[in-house]
Amino acid sequence: MKNNQKIFYVDTDRCMNCRACEVACKMEQNLPAGPRYLVVTETEVTREDRDHCEFFPMNCMHCGNPPCAKVCPVNAITKRMEDGVVVVDQSKCIGCRVCLWACPFGAPQVGINGKMEKCNLCLHSLVEGALPACARACCGEAIKVGTMEEIIAYVREKYAQSCQKKLSYIRDVFSD
Amino acid sequence: MTSEKTGAWPLKEDLDKYAVATQVPVWVGGEKVLADRVVKTACPHNCYDTCGMLVYVKDEKVIKIEGDPDHPITRGHLCLKGYANVQKINSPDRVKYPLMRVGNRGEGKFKRISWDEAFAYIVEKLEDIKEKYGGEALAEYAYSGNREHMAKAVSKRFLNLYGASQTVGSFCVLSGVAGSYHTLGFQHTMSPEIWSEHTELIMLVGRNPSATNPHLYPFLYHAMERGAKLIVVDPYVTAVASKADVHLRPRPGTDGAMALGMIRHIIENDLHNMDFIAKYTHGFEDLVKLVQEWTLDKTAEVTGIPADQIKLAAEMYATHDSHMECGYGQQRYSNGHQTQRALACLAAVCGHIGKKSANYNFMDAMGFPSLSGFVACSKVSNPEGAFLRKTRMINIAAFAKAMRAAEDPPLKAVISWRGGLVSQQPYVDYTIEALKALDLFVVIEQFMTDDTDWADIVLPACHFLEQYGLHPSYWHHYNQIVVPVCQPYYEAVPDIEIWSELARRMGYEEYFPRDITGLDWIRVLIEYECNVDEMVSPKGPALLPESWCPTVPYHDYQFTTPTGKIELYSVGMEQRGKEVTGDFEPVPHFVEPDESPMATPELAAKYPLTIISQHPAFRTHSQFYNLPWIKEIEGPAKVFINKKDALDRGIQDGDQVAVFNDRGRLENILAKVSNRVQAGVVELSSGMWVKLGWSVNKLTALSYGGPREFPDGIMHEYQPFVDGNTTAYFNTLADIEKMQ
Repeated sequence: MKNNQKIFYVDTDRCMNCRACEVACKMEQNLPAGPRYLVVTETEVTREDRDHCEFFPMNCMHCGNPPCAKVCPVNAITKRMEDGVVVVDQSKCIGCRVCLWACPFGAPQVGINGKMEKCNLCLHSLVEGALPACARACCGEAIKVGTMEEIIAYVREKYAQSCQKKLSYIRDVFSD
Repeated sequence: MTSEKTGAWPLKEDLDKYAVATQVPVWVGGEKVLADRVVKTACPHNCYDTCGMLVYVKDEKVIKIEGDPDHPITRGHLCLKGYANVQKINSPDRVKYPLMRVGNRGEGKFKRISWDEAFAYIVEKLEDIKEKYGGEALAEYAYSGNREHMAKAVSKRFLNLYGASQTVGSFCVLSGVAGSYHTLGFQHTMSPEIWSEHTELIMLVGRNPSATNPHLYPFLYHAMERGAKLIVVDPYVTAVASKADVHLRPRPGTDGAMALGMIRHIIENDLHNMDFIAKYTHGFEDLVKLVQEWTLDKTAEVTGIPADQIKLAAEMYATHDSHMECGYGQQRYSNGHQTQRALACLAAVCGHIGKKSANYNFMDAMGFPSLSGFVACSKVSNPEGAFLRKTRMINIAAFAKAMRAAEDPPLKAVISWRGGLVSQQPYVDYTIEALKALDLFVVIEQFMTDDTDWADIVLPACHFLEQYGLHPSYWHHYNQIVVPVCQPYYEAVPDIEIWSELARRMGYEEYFPRDITGLDWIRVLIEYECNVDEMVSPKGPALLPESWCPTVPYHDYQFTTPTGKIELYSVGMEQRGKEVTGDFEPVPHFVEPDESPMATPELAAKYPLTIISQHPAFRTHSQFYNLPWIKEIEGPAKVFINKKDALDRGIQDGDQVAVFNDRGRLENILAKVSNRVQAGVVELSSGMWVKLGWSVNKLTALSYGGPREFPDGIMHEYQPFVDGNTTAYFNTLADIEKMQ
């Protein structure tokens, strides 16, 4: 994967299920009810006797090796070399929905014209350097879109900070 | 009068003066569109955040809404409802023209009439009613649909001239305001910008910020990244509870007992701040005496929270610089005033008041700016030179009760606007019965709601983006004046124009000048305190004055209580208790909610489940429920039920169930067998419409929070901060069964 490839990343510690991303997506893409490019999933977990909810905004992952593109019988789905965005050419799409069978995330949607449509990372503005609508709308700053390098840097920084927190806690305990 | 889309009375102003920029390229649906202008405004829906907005307008149509990145608190983000306003304002379902009922009340059959015909009908009826019964036979029903304060002052100007009954009180929060007021005096909140930098622990009580206060999160995360701990008190597993270090899950309505147990444990273990208590509080000995019975074991028994968790939370809260952020969940019970007192006393015994790192936030006084004096409501509502009678009051926490109880004169006319009388008052069937007895029911609305079905006349209301408004936040301290970003759609008319024109036609012309805009009224209301120009698009938001929004509230330890100290023993309550009836017990004691398994065991034998109805992210009360974007995300109505309760009833996840009690029955609800609620508790979110099927208020009890009592909702004297009152929606028992 080239360094300029854009990827989608969710910091699940920060997503708090406000669902603003879903409506911001609808507005940005001018979508009616029906196709949902992005859905926040809710799961319930009980861990160490404690009940939690966890949330995960799911859209197209813009896979490095997209299975949807591989199975498309008319080659309507392609991964752009310049930024890694997986796009669908609706003029080629025949609406067979095989892409949906192949996609592990339920990303492909079908619009009123019967053809596949899905998240394109707001390509229209991405090429101008803007973040997709979901990431812009994310109040908890849980949704990140960037190059591999940028996302990796974010995750490493976050891990380092949580270690610092743990270390300073240990220092506090031992200094008592 | 007019053609479609141009409006009945287009605003005479050139709205370009509010443009931050004109001819702005903006992406809509993957295409670049040239917006005519982008305007800065603020969202006046009833929410902590009062977000700064940027609204893009083309051909007088809103095409896109974004957060205002220059707003220091909301920082360019909106909630899902904020964005959904694009769909709301452009909805084909909007009330487009004035309508007159042609069928029976409740049938929902109407014909289109002109504004002139609508006014003529209303004026004739109102004149007739006034002559026959007197002005007090009219009342407005107005609440927080569009929560801004300016138009409400203008409506009061008319109502006062007419001599109508006054609608007072609240059904969401005044019990807690009174609880805080009797402890600390006039209350303020400390901006999250401050506590997030300094605090070591945040205790969040009864608040689900994901739904009602999303902009809390960046500050919360910042504090937690600094190492601050988070304690959340909520019977329900909310998102924020899932992120907490400690999640305390009281049985609904027992938060007050929890606080008393924490206080006892703190004092017992010498973790209280005796210096602070000696210097700044009054009545410590009385509190010590009262909490004696609240041992960890008893507290655990009453609240259902394990004793070790109460102990842990109490010790954590007392030994850190802890900041308390209170929500209003605990105000949904008849004991909300005492609960809030107990929480404020908990903060006080630990000395967690008046510091950047440790303070007590309930509701900024701006929550009721018209009552607190910041918004000089009376300058507008009581016009100089006019003869105004003192009239009776109707407490909105029991509006339907008052409608039925009112005599001398009976209540004959109600004008409902900015609220949902049918959907938002408890016990829907009771409310509807009360409505049937009216001679005139006028509803000013954007959509055909539960209220409009019962209306004689429906008037098309403006969306907030089509009119002026004044809505200071009750959480943060930045203000942006709400301005019209576009011309009203169809024949919708701004609220102040409706009230002013009605007043003119009723003969009060001299008090309602024609060439005055909402901004002029706003200047009358707050210009003596602030520079309004700094808050109007393209400028703003601006910080509100320090006198009304102190940076660090209580930092000088001057309290406006009778003793000038934090009153653990409330002298104010003791005094008020001698004047009026109610639960004015001066030391914060715990009383069971009116309807609960403990308070009403016989009823609980029949209906063992307590219903809590939280505010979901999808709605502001009942607003937004009818929008396709929102409906799609929310999906069908769901009731969350614990595994044990489900098993007892043979209910499986995904079953269709009915929820019922003696007041009503809701059917075809999707059961979600879930660990989000504990055994004995079910959750069905509030704000769904009666006519669309799942209004929890079909089931909720006619009960209200204290401290003051008012059996029939009618009052002749009332002090909001002292007397409180809140509708106690969660005092509701019900049962669930699987549908056959």
